[in-house]
Formats: sequence, structure tokens, C-alpha cells
Amino acid sequence: MTHLTTPTTKRWRFAWLFAVFSLFSTVTWADTTLRYATVGEPPSLDQHVLTSDLATTIAHHMFEGLYTFDSSNSPAPLLATGETISNNGKTIVISLRDDVKFHNGEHMTSADVVASLNRWGEHGARGGLLFSNVESVAASGDYEVTIQLSAPFGPWKNLLAFINGGPAIYPASIMNDAGKEPIPPDHYIGTGPYRFNEWKPNRHVELVRYDNYSSPAGDADGYSGSRVAEFDTIRFMPVPDVGTRVSGLKAGDYDYAESIPGDLFDDLNSDPGVRTILNGGPIFGLVFMNSKEGPLMTNFALRRAIQTATDKVPALQVSIGPDKLWRANGSFMPAGNIWYTESGTDHFSQGDAEAARQMAADAGYDGAPIKFMVSTNYAFHYDQAVVFTRQLAQAGFNIDLQVYDWATLIQKRAQPDQWDLFFTHHGFVPDPILISVMNDNYPGWWTTSEKAELKAKFTASSDPAERIAIWSEIQAAIYHQVPTMKTGDVYTYNIASPDLKGLSEQTLIWPHFWNVSK
Amino acid sequence: MFPYAIKRILTLFPTLFLASVVVFMFIHLIPGDPAAVMLGDIATPEEIALLSAELGLDKPLPTQFFIWFTNALGGDLGTSIFFQEPVTSVIADGAETSILLAIMTMFWIVVIGIPIGVASASWHGRWVDQLFSGGAMLGASIPTFWLGLYLILVFSVGLGWLPSSGFPSVLEDGGIGNLRYLILPSITLAAPNAALIIRLIRGSMLDVQREDYVRTARAKGLHPAKVAIRHVFRNALIAVAAAFGFTFAVLISEAVVTETVFSLPGIGRLVVQSILRRDYPVIQGVMLAIVALYIIINLLVDLVYAWLDPRVSLK
Repeated sequence: MTHLTTPTTKRWRFAWLFAVFSLFSTVTWADTTLRYATVGEPPSLDQHVLTSDLATTIAHHMFEGLYTFDSSNSPAPLLATGETISNNGKTIVISLRDDVKFHNGEHMTSADVVASLNRWGEHGARGGLLFSNVESVAASGDYEVTIQLSAPFGPWKNLLAFINGGPAIYPASIMNDAGKEPIPPDHYIGTGPYRFNEWKPNRHVELVRYDNYSSPAGDADGYSGSRVAEFDTIRFMPVPDVGTRVSGLKAGDYDYAESIPGDLFDDLNSDPGVRTILNGGPIFGLVFMNSKEGPLMTNFALRRAIQTATDKVPALQVSIGPDKLWRANGSFMPAGNIWYTESGTDHFSQGDAEAARQMAADAGYDGAPIKFMVSTNYAFHYDQAVVFTRQLAQAGFNIDLQVYDWATLIQKRAQPDQWDLFFTHHGFVPDPILISVMNDNYPGWWTTSEKAELKAKFTASSDPAERIAIWSEIQAAIYHQVPTMKTGDVYTYNIASPDLKGLSEQTLIWPHFWNVSK
Repeated sequence: MFPYAIKRILTLFPTLFLASVVVFMFIHLIPGDPAAVMLGDIATPEEIALLSAELGLDKPLPTQFFIWFTNALGGDLGTSIFFQEPVTSVIADGAETSILLAIMTMFWIVVIGIPIGVASASWHGRWVDQLFSGGAMLGASIPTFWLGLYLILVFSVGLGWLPSSGFPSVLEDGGIGNLRYLILPSITLAAPNAALIIRLIRGSMLDVQREDYVRTARAKGLHPAKVAIRHVFRNALIAVAAAFGFTFAVLISEAVVTETVFSLPGIGRLVVQSILRRDYPVIQGVMLAIVALYIIINLLVDLVYAWLDPRVSLK
């Protein structure tokens, strides 16, 4: 029998071969695309109203502020060129660069800066802190802005430099209609080296190089100095499963992957195909105590008993793992930072159950349940809370551990009758005024007269040495009144392909990919 | 059959209405506020209340439902609070992934499950049957996240043949070649479901083999393969048809573990993420789409049932 091979049969065979080949052909990505595996998706990229670190990781490639931070966490000019401050410290005149273009092609002028600062001051996550002392913001020239303060306010420059929940500069045309609601993606127009291209839900956020970018002068130093966009495209892709983030990077599907758990650190650190990058600014756990209602409301002695009962080291060992990734540091700012102080930290991690039991009895504790809220959305919150619950039980406390998802916890903590303690964490901030416990309205509502007096002195001073000394007093007050209990520093880490060039040994706060190539 | 189909489609609307009421009530019973999730940890209750008001979430629930429902009647399912995109386009994007993944998974189930099920029944009690039945039990027992991660380790990290995760749309660069992203996830999803189909086909064929008409066919001297395919297999398919339909619907709506492991932008992951963020419009839209999907697939299964078995009458 003869087998006939007709042209149609040949075409079908070719089509099958092509289909199989195209399905199995190795995926190749251009060296001009950076693929970043994120843990999820940010709620928005609007930097004024959001404090999500993931949002800032993406957005600080697009949006810039008047100032930023250099490698020593000191503020340095970015869109500004400098400032002059009046003798009484109440008038700040900021001069602007005249070579900055927005992604829509418009030149940035003082009108854009004024509109952006005003929107941030009214609706921004951290804007109220500065604007409670601002009388006016006005354009005093095409490239000059004058901020009039009601009283000297020492941390003004740090606040303007901190882009997370900070004063990114948008075009005035967008700011004029913006309220508390985050601006929509089609309004993501900034001045950064990359511009917004698209956001495909559950797939990626894509930035592309902004060809008309005008870089600040000077050598790159931290986030300051020269910025060069080496990649054509940066894709931030949500990869919620950590195993997939690690495997995907090893397989070459990603160039960078964030938030890798501590138990993989030693293996990945010794893997030549992977580069581990520590985040220089540690995050730290905080257990807030209710100052509005319940048994802890004004009973500082009982709060100190709780603090005395807890030993932070086992909690950090259980929840984080390798020693390199945590520090049992009682200072609210990390060692090496100018704000580091050991004031009050003797009480940080005593783990003395017997002393705590006696202190609780002296404070009048009668064994009433203490409601402790924690979320499972963050594994280290839950792990540490379980350890503390056990330690507190050994000291005679009746802890009612209530486990919720994060959205529920946020809602419940706004209701003072629902809780006595809740667990959260805090990102690194360059100025202690930005720590949430300093905010009178933050759940926990620490508003004692001692705090008010110290806070007023702290913000009124512009002298760095004096501010550091006052912060030391504030930290001592925190350890005495215990509005919140720090649980230690956690150094998260990311992994990168060894092919990436220009990455620092560790990130300053958020990873950045200008001046980086592959 | 046609009037029956029309009648069933008409029942879709009251069902969707009831489903939307139930879904709306339940998601608002869960504590949590999208404004709070969006603004992050340092937001004060006052700031959260202000954003809630701007998003229209401070209105009474009946008012919110009325607004949403009247818009939905016009085909507008609202705008995602987080993505700030129409819910219909968010669902359409997820549906592309989920439908293609389900089709590819069904392909593996049919290609692997049916021949093995038929072979298992044909060699009932022999070593072939023992081997295939054991394999099916193993496939049903392996957790999908474990299988998925190992497939990634072998085929992506080790051999470098296939991508580990993600799924660029087939409408993007790469076109139909982007289906390669779905090969490992579809195999992962097919493993437990093919095992189910193998067991169903095997069991159903064994039942049919005992029927009188099969004995008659054999007595007439028909070739055993012809008896197996024409008389046994076709009639055994009737029992399996419903399972195929249900499996397809489940693959679209509940593949969340596989979608998470492979970072696929499918419907299952979308609904879970939306619940965690309290993105109410997306949750409502997706749940409505899933209810509609189940109703339509049930209808199709009934129609296929009638086509396969002339004794079934649809009224």
C-alpha cells in the first residue's frame, strides 16, 4: 500500500509542528525589560493618599518630590534646587529647577508645586502633620514657592522628602479636581525617569522610560543625584506565592522578587544563581494599647507589667528565623541612624514573668480578659502574637487572642470598645515624627499631656542636636506610658538575578531601578 | 428542546436577582471597609470616613443596592474600587485566563482520562486496570499546590522548557504562543479531575457492560472493540456528561490554588483578592457571572443529555 502525502496533509503537519514549537520555545525577554515579582497589587499608585510600600516601590520611578533622601537618610534636593529660611524659622522659600517636564510634556512650574502641596496638605496621608503648622503656600515666582508657617516646624524637610504618603508633584490640572479619593491611572503623570504605561489587573503594572526626562545633577547617592533610566520597560507582576517568586527568578522569568521568607535566606544566600538584597530600613512590629477604653486605658503600671512579661527574642526567632534578619532593638530607630537612642530601652525585652505578675497585681489587675487583635495576613504578626500570648499567660494575664483578616482588624481597631491590644507593623521612616504613635488620631489614641508637651517642643525646634535630645525624652516617655510596645527590628530581603548591574548591596528603603541595567 | 431552552434562560433573570441580593447582603455583613484597606495602616478613622463618603460607601445599604442594581440592568456592573476600571472589563480579563485554562484542562482530561477509563473497564480486574486505578487514586490524592510547585521545579527551573508563572493575554505579543503559560497549570488542574473522570468512565462502563443489549450485541458476533465503543462507551458517556459540565464550571470558578501557584490572572484569584480588599463591585460582578455560568452549563448539560439519550424528554 502506498501512503499518499497530499499538500493539505503537509500543511497540517507543518501547522502542528509550528504550534508545538511555539508552545515549548523558551521564553525570551529583551534585556531592556525588567520583570519584578511583587507580593500583590497596590490599591493605587497615588503617593499623596497611600502609604503602601508596594505602591511606593512602583510609584517612585514615576513621581518625584521637591526633596529626596541620600544614602545617609538626609534630605537632598530633587525637584527643588535649595531653600532659604527666614530668621524666625517661619518663612521657607524653595527654589525649583526650571528644566523639569511632566510626562504629558508640560513644564513644571511653581503653580504645579503649590497645587500639589495644597492637595497633599488637605488630603494626604502625612500632609496634615506639616499643614497643621502651615498658614499658606504660594508661588513667589515661576520657579519659586514660599511656605508660610504659623510656628517653626523642624521636620518640614524630612516630610517633604518622604515620598511614601508624601508630596509627589503632579500637574496642577490634575490636582485641582483631586480629593481624598486616589487619582485614577490615567492621571498618573509625574516627572520621574519612568512614566506610567498600563495597569492590567492581576497581570502587571507597566512603566516605560520617559525619554524627555531631565535628571538632577550630581553623582547618584541613595535616591539623590543622577537618575538614568536604562530599561525601556519595567513590569511589576503580582506573584502571590513565594515558592513561585523564588522558582520564577531561578528559571529566569523574573529579574527581581520581593518579600522572601527568612527560612529560605541561608539557602538563597549560598546559591550562585541568586543574589540576596537586604532592605536597609527595617520594619518593626508594634503592639498598640488602647488609651480610650478598657482596663489599659490609663493604667500605665499595668501596661508596663505587660511589657515586662514579654521576651522579644524568642518571638523574633520563631517569626523571622536567621539572626541576620532581625535585631532585638528597643530603639524606635535602627542602630547607626542619627535618631538611634537607648533611652528607656532597658524595659524593651525583660521576659520576667514573676516580676510582671507582681506588677500586674500592684496595678490592680483582676484577671479580666484582655482582647488582643492580630491578623493572619502578615505571618510574622500572628507568629509573634502567639508567642506573646503564651508569655503573658505565664505571667497570669488572661489574653483573649482574636484573629482576623487585615480588613476586619482595621475596621475593629477604629472602635475603642472592641479591643485592648492590637498588632501591626511599621515601615522605616526617616524622622520619628512620622511614627504612627506620634499621631494623636491613630488607633490607640495616645494623647497624654506629657506627650503633647514633648511633641510641641520636638516639632518647634529646628536644631538637629536639640531635636535628637527631645526624641530621646519622647522614647523614654513611650517606655514609661507604653502607648505601644515595639517588638524588634525585622530586615526583610529581596532576591535578584546576578545579571542585574548597578544594584546596591542593600536597599535604602524601597528598591529603585534607575541607574540599573542588565 | 427549543422552548425548554428558552424557558430555562428566562429563569436566569430571577435567579440572578436573588443571587445578587444574597451576595450583596453577605459581603456587607463581613466587617471591613475598602477605604481602610486602601488608605493603609496609618490612616485615621476620620480619613477613612472621608474616603468612604467620596466612594459612596456611606449611603444606606438599600440605596447602594438600588443604585448598583439599576446600573446592572443597563449592563453597568460598576467600577472596581481598587483598579478604577469597569467591573465588566476586569471580569473579561480574568475570564480569558479562566476559560482558556479550563478548556486546556478539559483537553487533558479528555485525552488522558477517557482512554484510560475505557482501557481500565475493558481490562477490568487485570494488571492494566490495577495500574490505571492506582494511578487515578494517586492523581486524585496529590495536592494541587504541591504538584504545581514540582512541575515548576522540573519543567521551568530544571529543564527551562516552559514558563513558571503568569499569563500574558493571547491578544498581546506572543499571541497563541502565550498558551504555553497554561500548559503546567492545566496539567496540575487536570490531575485530580482526570482521576475523577477515569473512575466515572470505568464504573459507568462496567455497569453498561452488564446490560442485556450489550450481551445481545456480543451474541450477534460484533467485534469486541465495536461493542465497547458503539454500545458500551456511548451509553456510559451519559452518566459522565453531567460530571464534564460541572467540572468545567468548577475549573473556571474555583481554580484559585492553581491560579495562585502559577500567578494566573483568573477569576478564582480575582474573587479571593477582591474579598480580602473588600472590593464590593468586583465581588458582586464576579459572583453574578459565576451564577450565570453555572445556570448556563447546567442547561447545556441537560441539552447534551437529551441528545445522547433519546429517552430523556425535556419539557
